[in-house]
Amino acid sequence: MFESVSAPGSYAMEDFLSDHNLTLIDETVSEVFGMMLGFTAEAAPASAPALSDLQERTAIVGFSGAMRGSCEVRMSIGAAREIASAMLGGVPIDEADDSISDAVGELCNMIAGGWKNRVPSLSSLCALSPPTVVSGSRYRVHMSKPSAKIERVFRFEEHGFQLTLQCEERDAA
Amino acid sequence: MSGTVLVVDDSVMMRKVVLRTLKMAGVEFDNILEAGDGQEALGLLRENVVNLIMCDINMPVMSGLELLQKIKEEKLAPGVPIVMVTTEGSEPQVRQAILAGARGYIRKPFTVEHIENNVKPLLVA
Repeated sequence: MFESVSAPGSYAMEDFLSDHNLTLIDETVSEVFGMMLGFTAEAAPASAPALSDLQERTAIVGFSGAMRGSCEVRMSIGAAREIASAMLGGVPIDEADDSISDAVGELCNMIAGGWKNRVPSLSSLCALSPPTVVSGSRYRVHMSKPSAKIERVFRFEEHGFQLTLQCEERDAA
Repeated sequence: MSGTVLVVDDSVMMRKVVLRTLKMAGVEFDNILEAGDGQEALGLLRENVVNLIMCDINMPVMSGLELLQKIKEEKLAPGVPIVMVTTEGSEPQVRQAILAGARGYIRKPFTVEHIENNVKPLLVA
């Protein structure tokens, strides 16, 4: 159980874990995919199987300020290629092209920024780190304090991706 | 449109997206300059005349807001519209960018319509 923090400029854990926050996350993903890629992205049911692609690409953006945590976007190379191609208006992209990682990083950046801009207590009081992109699947992202995690799978075209938001528990004031 | 556009973003992909969207909005230039951070952009501005600057805020080495400050200090690109293109869309940041010399602000993700509404009017004014 997380404690609600009422200090000004902080973000309460119960807000992070609320159903309303899931709506904000879904709205953000839908907006980013619709506006930047021309795709419809929908959240998969909670019962949907986890993504199992081995050759993954992950982008991570950190939050600092009123909330400390991270936003991770994780997908297969095929999905990342589709996204990079869509960002460039349908230009075919080779698997070895650096723009694939760049595209996943920017996608993560836009989702992280779009989400925090929808949360009034974070919008101007939470900063984003530049995206870091990781290749491969055998890694874990560790927070420096206990944290709450929201994992959500989204589907677009014939692909899927996993979005993970982590929010660190704050010290009581 | 004759002239030069400078696109500043640490993401090569985002620079391509900005240029593609400008083109789709009918804002095309003869020459294109690209920079990966504010420092690189500053170097290009000292040596080139540009007609439009599209600039990210959150960049390594020198941020977009620092670049705006330097442009003001060095009196570079006088009268040239500078449009910030960023995920950081909070009101204080918009205010800070406008005070530092930006003429427009576009939040990522953006569409052709956003460019038409926020960039085109700056070029005909």
